[in-house]
Amino acid sequence: MPAETVLEVEGLVKRYEGLLALSGVNFAVSEGEIFGVIGPNGAGKTTLFSCLVGSVRPNSGEVRFRGERIERLAGHAIVSRGLVRTHQIVRPFREMTVRENVSIGAHFGRGRRRGEEARRRIAEILERTGLSRRADALAGTLTIGELKRLEIARALATEPRVLCLDEVMGGLNPSEIVEAMGLIRSIRESGMTILMIEHHIHAVVGVSDRILVLNFGLKIAEGTPSAVVKNPNVISAYLGED
Amino acid sequence: MRKGQGRLLAIEAAALVLLLAAPRFFERGTLNDIWNVAFAVILASAWNLLGGLAGQVSIGYSAFIGIGAYTTALLSLAGWHPYATLPVSALLAAAFSFVVGLPTFRLRGPYFTIATIGVSEAVRVVASGVSFTGGSSGLRMPAGSFHFLRDYSAMVILAVSVVALAAWIQASRFGAALRAIRQDIDAAEALGVNSTKYKLLVHALSAAIVAVAGSLFAINFQYISPNSVFDFRLSLSIVLMPIVGGLGTVAGPVLGALLFGYLQIKLLSSPALRDSYLFLYGGMLILVMLFEPKGLLGLYHRLRGAVTRSGARTVPDAG
Repeated sequence: MPAETVLEVEGLVKRYEGLLALSGVNFAVSEGEIFGVIGPNGAGKTTLFSCLVGSVRPNSGEVRFRGERIERLAGHAIVSRGLVRTHQIVRPFREMTVRENVSIGAHFGRGRRRGEEARRRIAEILERTGLSRRADALAGTLTIGELKRLEIARALATEPRVLCLDEVMGGLNPSEIVEAMGLIRSIRESGMTILMIEHHIHAVVGVSDRILVLNFGLKIAEGTPSAVVKNPNVISAYLGED
Repeated sequence: MRKGQGRLLAIEAAALVLLLAAPRFFERGTLNDIWNVAFAVILASAWNLLGGLAGQVSIGYSAFIGIGAYTTALLSLAGWHPYATLPVSALLAAAFSFVVGLPTFRLRGPYFTIATIGVSEAVRVVASGVSFTGGSSGLRMPAGSFHFLRDYSAMVILAVSVVALAAWIQASRFGAALRAIRQDIDAAEALGVNSTKYKLLVHALSAAIVAVAGSLFAINFQYISPNSVFDFRLSLSIVLMPIVGGLGTVAGPVLGALLFGYLQIKLLSSPALRDSYLFLYGGMLILVMLFEPKGLLGLYHRLRGAVTRSGARTVPDAG
């Protein structure tokens, strides 16, 4: 792919008392790509995202976003540069309406939209994520499927260049998963780069251009979906040691 | 401007007119009571910006009252017009708010709250110990600096303005950021909200308001001492008023202040009850926590909902 590299990770290490969550992970993501990150439970996927967006400080290594080192920046500063994440365990502002939740992203993200312009964007995003009908409901009253979409909607409202989706399909039923995959493809078509973590290989294989496989904090494979699913390291990580 | 804001502005304007006209109809004792309630409204509303909206509980707000009161007393003694000292009080308190906020707002957890107790006690001890503040015997304002009607009007104007400001903040982007911080600070940060900056800003704003109220306190009472303005019990009442009234709302702190102001006036006039007010406050706090965490305002919404049984949902932040 001739596209430019938008995100580069080099030698990323994160240690939690005695546990090596990430031990020297390297990869690069090109502009416009859907880049999947998979691995068994506890492989370090969510820690990796947390390091990318500044909610966790890595012990060593570099994260470069559009050529700039960002691994020491605060979370809000990274969002304003155009790198945003959703949370695997949804974190809505429960006492705010769906619309107000999305407005936080629109007001304080990269776009910093105000007034009429903000209102229009918020309406657009609610429409796109299928939340228009629930716009004035308190976030605390949504179903899990709606909450997952709200996570995506808020992140989109920040107008990211790179969107990191952390298990947005977890807990969804099969028809909701199909919808979510459609949403992800449509987001990519708008020119955004997407990183997505999924626990299940099959959800991610269908939409990703390339896939990174982590196990015990180590990169065990990287490549196209078809190559990765045939990789013996990946198979043994998922099926257990023989 | 939203519809609710227009209505609130009308209520505010009417309240201001009535309060400013009150000296024509009431005697001094009643006006003093209104002054006291207005003072409580300012403290409760200002605290609520930080504690209620942003969820950062400070138990050291008497420090800002004291900073305002001492600034005004000292500068007035140095020849300033008492009202010319108000901006200095506000700035000093805002600057001081950073002393507590800068080291603690970056941390997650109860560090800020704990620091506020320590710092406010430290300020009280310093004010009692050094000589230029008059030590524990306090300071008397210069003769001729008291003018009841002027001081009464200043206090009610400040009270109405602070409530209007709170309503404006509530509906603004700034207010939205603060509510997001209270509900989930990490999620707010992950959507681009600079949480440390907004916490520092609202703390400074709220401290400045409280300090100006402290300045007006010094002007009205003409005498201040560490025990009158740096009282820890005062800090506690400031926390309790918004909680009892309805945390994070505009009307809640006002309701709480009206109730506390009224109670205090009643209790202080009865020697038997004078020392029991903390007991009473504690009891109210327990009742609110157990039965109506949204305070008097929440109770009102619930009752109104039960009476009208209309399907209209009550929005917790309206008010």
